[in-house]
Amino acid sequence: MSYYDVDAILTDAQKVPCAFELTVPGLGFLEGNMSGDMKQGSKVELPLWLGEMLALSQSLNTSSLVTLDHPAALSPRVLNALKADPKSVDLRAQAQHFYNLGARILELFDEEDMIDVLSDTFKSRAAVIADQANNGRGALGEGGDFLKKLDENERELFRAAHDSAKGVRTWMADLSKK
Amino acid sequence: MALPLPPGLTPPEIAFICEMELVTIIPRQKLEGLKLLGAPLKPLNPPQRASIPLWLALLLKRQRRANIVPPPWLSPISLQAILDHETEQEDAFSPPPRLPPSSSGNEAPFSPPFLQSSTANAPPDALPYHWLELGEMLLEAAADDFEEPDNVRKLMRGLREVRMAKLRQGVNVLDAGGGVKMNGVGAMELGEARSFITGVVDGLRKISASREQQRKDRAREERENGYSGSADYDDDEMDME
Repeated sequence: MSYYDVDAILTDAQKVPCAFELTVPGLGFLEGNMSGDMKQGSKVELPLWLGEMLALSQSLNTSSLVTLDHPAALSPRVLNALKADPKSVDLRAQAQHFYNLGARILELFDEEDMIDVLSDTFKSRAAVIADQANNGRGALGEGGDFLKKLDENERELFRAAHDSAKGVRTWMADLSKK
Repeated sequence: MALPLPPGLTPPEIAFICEMELVTIIPRQKLEGLKLLGAPLKPLNPPQRASIPLWLALLLKRQRRANIVPPPWLSPISLQAILDHETEQEDAFSPPPRLPPSSSGNEAPFSPPFLQSSTANAPPDALPYHWLELGEMLLEAAADDFEEPDNVRKLMRGLREVRMAKLRQGVNVLDAGGGVKMNGVGAMELGEARSFITGVVDGLRKISASREQQRKDRAREERENGYSGSADYDDDEMDME
């Protein structure tokens, strides 16, 4: 992910649940408490970039400022649903950049299990994407429902597969025009 | 990002490269030898067959000055046999034509377009690298030189469908150590599947990037502690590149 990658920026802007370990004076506005303090133990949804910074930076007494938790999109409930049937889960409703978010979370947590679930999901959904992309009517008919459930990565994949198939079809059509 | 074109070659570019392939023609008119950049073209004498590049063959065909002899693998019988082979073997493509035995001496290695895989004396039981685009172009420009053009067209379409489906299903076995065997896949099929397959590989790599990182860290630690031999060291260096 490069510095100017819009998808990387949007991934980092997604919210993750954080629990404050310390009382922070004057930070209550994050909770909607305009003038108060951020109490110890209170839970707030913070953007990933901010939560990561606060969780990794060591304060004076060597405990970190906040602890990160898994975002709702990667909760055990969603992962179990993915294990059961990867093709029916609406990934876009979980997170627009589902896989990128997963990759970022995996950088922070050590979750061997999640890697397997995510790769298997990606693979089995990729096969469906390829079929839909090569089937001209798929995007309009019954395939439309599936396509609405794709996250950004998968949309990119669909576009790539669709464009290359279209390229070959166009070439064959041009051939007969000559 | 700067170029709007996808990586790899576009279908017209692949077809352009394919036009270097040699095909066999039966000239209808005398033609004097041509001094082409690639190799001089011998004079064409009407009843004798000659092997010339596809682009020139298409040009002469369009001017009705030659008939193209379709390669043997483009006959309905061969195509049917290859198609049967493809449908029986679920996880492999039909093998590419065998390379000629390497002759002793310092001759340059054979590869298309110098390999005569599309002339009249090509092997009939294997699809060469440029089978799809060559077949399409011949069917389009020289349909009257085929015995059963509609049948050939139908078989070509069937072959294409079967093989593309195989390519697409191939991504299911991709994994950290897995791979898809792509022996025998043609240029146009490769061009069509490239962006999809690389997209899947990229996505999988991104997801398991943390595992890869851990593996590297562990290997480095082991190396620094002096546990591993020199073979492992080489392995890791390869990964870094």
